[in-house]
Amino acid sequence: MSPQHLSRDTKRFLWIGILPSALLYGLFVVWPAINALMYSFTRWDGLSTPVWIGIDNFVNLFKSGSDFVTAISHNIYLTVVPGSIILTLALFFAWMIHLKVAGSTLFRVTFFFPNVIASVAVALLWVLLYSTTEMGPINNIRQALHLEKIPFLESARLLQSIVPMMVWSATGFYLVLFLAAMENIPADYYEAAHLDGASPTLQFIRITLPLMWDVLTTGIIFLIVGGLKFFDAVWVMENGRPSPATHTMSSLMYAKVFEEYNVGYGTAIAVLLFVLVLVITRISMRLLKRERLEY
Amino acid sequence: MRGTLLEKLGTLVRTGVLGLWMLGVVLPMFWVLATSLKSTKEVTRSPFGIPDALAHPGAKTFAVIAENYSKAWVGSGFSAYFWNSLKVVSISLAMILLLGSMAAYCLSRFEFRGRSVIYNAFVAGLLIPMQLILIPLFFQYADWSDVLTRSFAPIARMLQLGNLTVSLHNSHEGIILIYIAASLPFTIFTLTSFFGTLPGGVREAAMIDGASEARTFFSVMLPLAKPGLITVAIFNFLGLWNEYLFGIVFLADNKLKTLPLGLASISMQAQYKSDFGLMFAGLVITMVPTLVVYLLLQRHLTKGITAGAVKG
Repeated sequence: MSPQHLSRDTKRFLWIGILPSALLYGLFVVWPAINALMYSFTRWDGLSTPVWIGIDNFVNLFKSGSDFVTAISHNIYLTVVPGSIILTLALFFAWMIHLKVAGSTLFRVTFFFPNVIASVAVALLWVLLYSTTEMGPINNIRQALHLEKIPFLESARLLQSIVPMMVWSATGFYLVLFLAAMENIPADYYEAAHLDGASPTLQFIRITLPLMWDVLTTGIIFLIVGGLKFFDAVWVMENGRPSPATHTMSSLMYAKVFEEYNVGYGTAIAVLLFVLVLVITRISMRLLKRERLEY
Repeated sequence: MRGTLLEKLGTLVRTGVLGLWMLGVVLPMFWVLATSLKSTKEVTRSPFGIPDALAHPGAKTFAVIAENYSKAWVGSGFSAYFWNSLKVVSISLAMILLLGSMAAYCLSRFEFRGRSVIYNAFVAGLLIPMQLILIPLFFQYADWSDVLTRSFAPIARMLQLGNLTVSLHNSHEGIILIYIAASLPFTIFTLTSFFGTLPGGVREAAMIDGASEARTFFSVMLPLAKPGLITVAIFNFLGLWNEYLFGIVFLADNKLKTLPLGLASISMQAQYKSDFGLMFAGLVITMVPTLVVYLLLQRHLTKGITAGAVKG
């Protein structure tokens, strides 16, 4: 494909092929993204003329005791706690399936189920599972074991209650991802290790993990970015009114803009979220992506 | 001999462990399905028993199922939510596939000035969280609706079509445009690399036979790209069918809501909280379409993830 001499027909086709996508993408993604940067340096109620205030919004975000600092700590919680459980379980289950089990396709297919269900439906399903009424299964089991009912959904407890929900719904995806990477590793490596008398655990640590390192990195990045953007379940479980005890960055952004008409401040949250996604993706790639092993 | 016995035992233990997790995954879903077959009274009386409708099938018990589902489907508007979802998602998806595949094909098979700049601009979009563009779009839409109304209203009046107001807020067209644009980076990124793997001589052969570029693309290249298109279609379908954040902002009107929005708003209204039959039926109606699509196409989806994993 050296620079070709393009015929008129080809040139016309290129214009028709690219221009509609470029226009839509420019108008509905790039332009708003640029606008977001501009809004974030203003004080604006959405109606009057915006007032340029420099980096004040960003300074205010990090004032001690600000809602934002609490919100970002919730995002970190919802990244680290469920994320590490999901990684461990997904690796563990993928390894189990990889070592040969009966019905591996059945497992792979069913484990993925929760992942295709709308996050709103997943949240509502867990609201029902956690219910304190007579039909809430989890509290029913507790009662059968003579334990107190727990109001899992009250604000003070909600973030902890979201952890099992996230593990339930996301593990299948990472399992499929990791299993694919494991199955891509040539079998002779294991055979050689087996002949040398290496135990399965040792094989996992010495062969599997290093050879699937970039996929593991990808998984970790997905988990972090997902945790930073977290919104749907908090919103649904709090009936659209999260409290300071449950706000995440995204829900706080929404509340600031559409309930308090503090557009500049709300957009500054969005800009910061973007910067965090960018920086963290970069850093994790640097830190985690060791030399790619060729095999 | 001892080795094989140990191996068999190992397989058994692993299958057992995985089976337990499978139960944990599937049981809540079965519970929702079973409860959707119960009347509110039955839910309270025996929340975990086998539904009467299944234990003692008969006209009376089936009436309960019919009541739950008709209450959800008709009474609470789930039919409208469902058709709204189908409309928004299918139009978006058709446009995403058409526009995305054309752009990806052009970017992968031709060498021209600005090619890599355009490609990189699209791919950079993969890193933009939707939260970043949500708020500006909200205000942009208000401005654009004004401009459009002012430019088209006089024409409409001239043609005696009555008063015309264009609104991108609270309209399916408005959100469809956003869905298409926001899905292009992933679609173009994936399809560009897919078109790159197709054999080079095919296009040339078609061109020698005298076909135009457009004809070559639609009747030769596009069919070859079917596996890639299916993968992209599944991922976009799942993402759009389940989309919530943009829906809250751009589809506030109850008549326009999609399934996740409708389900959320019904569950948030206190008076429905005790109508368990309705809640569970609504949940089933929301969950089933994506599960069905997944079961039908799961091999393509797994292949898509696998391809991503292998490439790293």
